[in-house]
Amino acid sequence: MAIDLQQHRSTGQADPIPAAVHLRPAVRSGIEERFGASDPEPGLELTRNPRVARLVRNRKFQFLLILPNQIVFWTVIFVGLAGTAVPGLNFGAAITWYVWFCLVFVMMVVVGRAWCAMCPFGGFAEWVQRRTFWQRTQKVLGLGRKFPEPLARLGFLIPVASFLLLTWIEEFFNIAGPGNPADTSWMVVGIVSSALIFFLVFERRTFCRYVCPLSTLIGTVGSMGSVAGFRTKDREVCLSCQTKDCMRGGNDGYGCPWYTWPGSADSNLSCGLCSECFKGCSEGNVGLFLQKPLTSVIVPRRRRADVAWGIAILWGLVVFQQFNATNVYASMDSWLNKYLLVPHYPDPVDYVGIIAAVTILTAGLVWLIAKALGRNDAVPTGPTNFVDRKSRFRNFFVPMAYGLIPVVGADYFARQLPKFFKHSARVVPAVAHIAGFGSAKSSIYGFHILSDGWIVVVQVLVIVAGTAAAAWATWRIAGRELVPVSRNALAVRLTTLGVVLAFGALASVLYVLMHAAS
Amino acid sequence: MAIAMTEERSAGTGRPSVRVLADRCAGCQECVLRCPTGALGMDTDRWVATADDERCVGCRQCVRTCPFSAIVVEGPAMVAPRVSGTTAHPESVLADISEVRQGFTDWEAALAEAQRCLACPDPTCVRGCPAHNDIPAFVAAIRDRDLAGAHEVLQRTSVLADVCSRVCNQAAQCEGACTWSLAGEAPVAIGQLERFVTDHAPVPPPVRGPDADVSVGVVGAGPAAIGAAWSLIEAGASVTVYEKDPVPSGLLGWGIPDFTLPQAVAQRPWRQLEAAGVELRCDAEVDADGIERLLTEHDAVIVAAGASIPVRPPIPGADLDGVTDATTFLKTGQAALEAEGGRDRWLAAMGFTPGVHGGSAGHVLVLGAGNTAMDVARTARRLGLDATCVDWLDRRFALARPDELDEAWREGVGVRFSRTVTRLEGDAKRVRRAYLARTVQPSADRMPKVQRGEQETLAVDLVVMAMGYRVDPAIAGALPGTPVRRQAAGLPDRRWMASGVLANPASEFAFHNPVGQLALGREVGLQTASLPVRERVWVIGDTLTGPATVVEAMAQGRRAASAIMAGRPSRPGKGRAGPRRALVCYASVGGRTAGVAHKVAEELTAKGLAVRVLPIDRVGREELAATDLLVVGSWVEGLVVAKVGPARAARAWLDGLPRLGGVPAAVFCTYEIDPRATLDVMAKALESRGARVVASSALRRGGDDVAAIALARRTLAGARDEVAAAGVLNGS
Repeated sequence: MAIDLQQHRSTGQADPIPAAVHLRPAVRSGIEERFGASDPEPGLELTRNPRVARLVRNRKFQFLLILPNQIVFWTVIFVGLAGTAVPGLNFGAAITWYVWFCLVFVMMVVVGRAWCAMCPFGGFAEWVQRRTFWQRTQKVLGLGRKFPEPLARLGFLIPVASFLLLTWIEEFFNIAGPGNPADTSWMVVGIVSSALIFFLVFERRTFCRYVCPLSTLIGTVGSMGSVAGFRTKDREVCLSCQTKDCMRGGNDGYGCPWYTWPGSADSNLSCGLCSECFKGCSEGNVGLFLQKPLTSVIVPRRRRADVAWGIAILWGLVVFQQFNATNVYASMDSWLNKYLLVPHYPDPVDYVGIIAAVTILTAGLVWLIAKALGRNDAVPTGPTNFVDRKSRFRNFFVPMAYGLIPVVGADYFARQLPKFFKHSARVVPAVAHIAGFGSAKSSIYGFHILSDGWIVVVQVLVIVAGTAAAAWATWRIAGRELVPVSRNALAVRLTTLGVVLAFGALASVLYVLMHAAS
Repeated sequence: MAIAMTEERSAGTGRPSVRVLADRCAGCQECVLRCPTGALGMDTDRWVATADDERCVGCRQCVRTCPFSAIVVEGPAMVAPRVSGTTAHPESVLADISEVRQGFTDWEAALAEAQRCLACPDPTCVRGCPAHNDIPAFVAAIRDRDLAGAHEVLQRTSVLADVCSRVCNQAAQCEGACTWSLAGEAPVAIGQLERFVTDHAPVPPPVRGPDADVSVGVVGAGPAAIGAAWSLIEAGASVTVYEKDPVPSGLLGWGIPDFTLPQAVAQRPWRQLEAAGVELRCDAEVDADGIERLLTEHDAVIVAAGASIPVRPPIPGADLDGVTDATTFLKTGQAALEAEGGRDRWLAAMGFTPGVHGGSAGHVLVLGAGNTAMDVARTARRLGLDATCVDWLDRRFALARPDELDEAWREGVGVRFSRTVTRLEGDAKRVRRAYLARTVQPSADRMPKVQRGEQETLAVDLVVMAMGYRVDPAIAGALPGTPVRRQAAGLPDRRWMASGVLANPASEFAFHNPVGQLALGREVGLQTASLPVRERVWVIGDTLTGPATVVEAMAQGRRAASAIMAGRPSRPGKGRAGPRRALVCYASVGGRTAGVAHKVAEELTAKGLAVRVLPIDRVGREELAATDLLVVGSWVEGLVVAKVGPARAARAWLDGLPRLGGVPAAVFCTYEIDPRATLDVMAKALESRGARVVASSALRRGGDDVAAIALARRTLAGARDEVAAAGVLNGS
């Protein structure tokens, strides 16, 4: 690189280093095309309000979010192990399975990764890793290793695998039934221990980003949410920033634990809402933004294959969880268990087999659409990595999978509703039972918010709403991303819309069948 | 589902290959901005970095700068072998004081080595150099065969290029921080290229600037004083240097032997400075009282008295005859080697009998294995003595420059690391034996531990303590806040982090001697040199930091000179203006305190001052050095009656302040209910650092603007009253 001596001569600063630094200009081309649609409106910045800004900038902000959940979940562990074996009267089992899991889905759909911001599992491990509850410390505890590159390349697929494993364990031991409350405690202890080990071995929130069983589920379903997360206010400031405190950590904030740069975030997928970038930015150029629902589903320019496959697998899992309530499944599972010597439901072969079958059928359906409607000349060359590689199949599969997020999310949410509507009231006697006077004979213990019939109605309505949202998202996505790679614009829009409607119908029918079977 | 396990990578062997982890790359472009070869670009569709293996040379700058560890580079570095200058080791070192290192003798070698420089966009070598020489620029000038241009670049930051290229420990400074070194390859021979410039074109003399009506007295004539005097005379100041020795140059003259730094080179700066008009008064020792006297004669005083008191560890037997210190040994030994027949006279005077130990006159034990110890041992070899250096440090953490260590070995010096002398014994009051114990040092930041067990006995005839120096306590006592620890506290400057100089280096040497951390520590000394320790008194060099290096001292001198010329202090009775530059800094959370700070700044600006407004976490020594008036604001933290005071961040910042050298200051706080003693706490903290608080104000919500304007006016009036009280006020 040629050195401009003249420029050097004209510099008369006290610190001579800047005169010797000649950084290459940042690439700025294509910014409007890349981020124009996904950048939130300036008017939707919550932190424009000084009180909100002050609250979020306060280092105790996340601590205070985590603390109540921390208290609840240590109580869950303790009461689950030491309390009554009656699940409905045991606070640990009752709060976890009748209320918590349902509320997590509500938070996902409305906010995004709100649960991640207040999660007691990662929160506890992070306190240990940082050796403080809220302060900005310079030296962390643990080895601070990088997550191995071959695994990191898989992106959001490892959390899907761990979610499948956890779900199988939960089904096998009937933890979420709920069964023995102690099993709930051991499950929570297992998650906390895993988190702690990962936080002590690896840097930042490697566990949350790459391993946590809920990470992909919350990330994808949460992309329907109305909180865009922490984003740049002015991208030019970020591009010319010489310190990147939001990534490396500054005096007041840690570097992003989720490996996200507000300057390039185009969805809320990887924003853990921890506010560290907001605290750390020395330019005050990061804000907390709202967005229209489904924005992070529809508009991100960069679609990721790991996320797409994750959605397809999660779809397979939730279909399994509906199908497993039918008589057909019960017969098949018993038959397999007899030959494979598995003591009881769920047989791992049919568990994995059904999930894989649904996933492959979904992908196969998309492959057929791509084959039928895709343009042969629309296979761009480009990156070779798993996350970004292009092919005619991927041209269709990846955007369509994003479009399915609302129906998959609705399906998971609907799956949690029976326990909430039938048993959430049991939390009251369960709390009382800790003090020694809650009983299964109390009227509130048997109180159902809705009857079984109405629950199915609500479930179907939830699926209908999710399907409608998915149809809207898919219509928009198809118009932006599938039409340019298709031979027939209308056909591809209608076909993909049909797939979404069919998936919604399948989920609704399965809920009716589940109800009939029970 | 087939999952490709490779990222963007082109196949091939024998070349470096770059992989960008697409999952984690956030497209921040930190790597793109800093790639020396332009091998990294952006995929603007995905907004991730992309790599072109064909252009990659494997320097791994991208790996060190990526905030999210999203880049992996594998394969060999594409760099030519290092071309080194020649050395002239004599067959026998006896009485030979000719220079050992010769540098590049021809353009061909220099150009070949200059071609190895990548001209990094964010050159880590510049941060590694204590003076922050623009190394890529002067190397580029060499490539253009423009030695005058190279000198011009070097003189922006260094006036001792010929000296530094010979005596600097480049391995722990610029060359240790070279991107090739950080990547585990041989660094560019920066020191030898610098020397090539000075060997083939004389260092241009200082050019006296137009009279600036500033008189500065400089105490000492070592490298720090040279740096200061050079900058001052070029800025038009009148400079008088007071040196206690009969000849100037300090350590350069008596501390570094001719075979490393020829006297002609060591004396060159003073020849040029005197020719440019610097008044040099030798044999003029200045003590603490002398500093007070100088303050009445000069507008500013720079104390660069060095650290000349040898450290003598309390070893049993250290009071025996034949135990001396490095200063005495080097001064007498050098003189003996330079004089006709001086060697024999010196040996006789020291009680040696030639031939006692074979061909050697005796055995010298040198305590320490740093650069001074090497000079002692190598001088001893030239005087006809055997020499052994003993150091309790592990060899991996040796303080001596690696090439000096190598040269000492080649000249027959025994260097024994992980040993310490536990006691000395003698016969007839003359030292004869040293007892050595083993030591263990697991890491550079831990003190070695002495091992118990059998001790080794070493026959010795002379023991030289070369374990460093300390500042004369009489001088240090008159200079508050000295010595300063060269250790950076807190989170490093993120611009330094971004450059990659602080990343774990691949080079074994740099790994054991973390060049980035060392460089950051030096920054503390460099920036502190800009600040007066008391009104109109600056301290630089070893007096400021304790024993350090020639280049650091010189750079500090230049910083102090710049600060003086920017602040234009004046002695009592001499007319001077009030403050011209103000710094308003604040700790604010909700924005109210920041608003008041800006209002104060606005009013000060309206009164004609050049004002900077910064949050306190962005105010460092550099910002403090560039102000004549300091205003500090904080919001009030606490619970009505409990723990009410300045914000915690403000308190921490106030506690970490350096000496402020009598700068006038004001404090303010914003509160809701009761500020209690907030202002007192802030004022006391500032006054304990030498500031003079001339105004204060506690602002309750409502009427902030009016109160801010009033505070600004009172602050300015207070500062001007002080000036008026001290002398005669010029202007408004």
